[in-house]
Amino acid sequence: MDAAGKRARFEQTVLPHLNAAYNLARWLTRNSHDAEDVVQESYLRAFRAFDSFEGPDGRAWLLAVVRNTCFSMLRKNKNQPAVEFDETYTAADPSPDAEAVLISEAALGSLQDCLEALPLEFREVIVLRELEEMSYKEISDVARVPVGTVMSRLARARKRLQQCLAGVLK
Amino acid sequence: MSCEIARHLRETNDPALGDHLRSCPSCIVQDHARYYDAPAGLEQKIRASLRKEDRAPSNWRWLSIPAAVLVAFSVIFSWMLLNPRMNERHIMATNVLSAHIRSLQGNHLLDESSSDQHNVKPWFNGKLDFAPDVKEVSGFPLLGGRLDYFDGHSAAALVYGRRDHKINLFTWPVAESIPEFAETVSGYHLQSWYRNGMAFWAVSDLNTEELGQFVSAYRGY
Repeated sequence: MDAAGKRARFEQTVLPHLNAAYNLARWLTRNSHDAEDVVQESYLRAFRAFDSFEGPDGRAWLLAVVRNTCFSMLRKNKNQPAVEFDETYTAADPSPDAEAVLISEAALGSLQDCLEALPLEFREVIVLRELEEMSYKEISDVARVPVGTVMSRLARARKRLQQCLAGVLK
Repeated sequence: MSCEIARHLRETNDPALGDHLRSCPSCIVQDHARYYDAPAGLEQKIRASLRKEDRAPSNWRWLSIPAAVLVAFSVIFSWMLLNPRMNERHIMATNVLSAHIRSLQGNHLLDESSSDQHNVKPWFNGKLDFAPDVKEVSGFPLLGGRLDYFDGHSAAALVYGRRDHKINLFTWPVAESIPEFAETVSGYHLQSWYRNGMAFWAVSDLNTEELGQFVSAYRGY
């Protein structure tokens, strides 16, 4: 494949997912400057590795690259604590006071804070699932964990989110 | 309850909505979490960096030829550096050649200008801790003498001529005998030999054959 042909094919299959790439990077890094750097770096990495891309899902393939770039950047910058949650955690924590939870439009401003407060691995599955509407299988490909882990992380992420929202809305 | 139904309940102000939202953070995220679109201009930046990346590999291919040449040279050069005898002689030859070229630049070929060995030889008296062997050499008129410095020693430089060419003959005392040696560096020819505790280096742009004649004549062969 000649160089110009490779670039044209890359621009056709991978570049259209720019918004998905930026959205994931923005949620994982929590700031727009780093997100932009990560996306640019990810596109370069993806382009260099494009010969190994077998398709057809350019989005999942690209997001896997974005995700890895984010994680290595965050690890380097150390502004993100290492995995600080327990993978074997089960639903033993107390339920939030159901009556206290009352979602109002104003309170939804807290949603941003609650999402950003989630551990990285939780935030990642929430963004891929709820905002990118990816299947468990696709998420497991992007995050490189088994489908079962995706499901348990999602469940725990939602629970944390619920608790967080309950906490700030009290 | 799905998020679609929850949206419908919200629009109709159904009280069941509150219950659902309590149990469904997914809906809250889907409906209310921000989706960040890429900022304007990012796509252009990426396209530009891809174009640049596309050109990069061909540059590397072109660079590989000079890189290979450079590697070959450094291998040869380090072999020479690591070969101590070659290294030592070559460094001395380079020093001798530098002194020769320096003497021809500007106005410092001769400190004592005389074609008479009986003037040149005494001139060195008191200036050196050895007496250089100043000789007349047939066919190579003596032009004079000069002081120089090599290898931690003061050295005598005797200057001979041949047509328009100059020959510098450097000599200084050495502790150990040096092997006879001839080398051509940058188009200049050099010959060195040892006699009676003295090192001799003749250097000139004169052709090898005539320089050889000079050396033989000086050494009395």
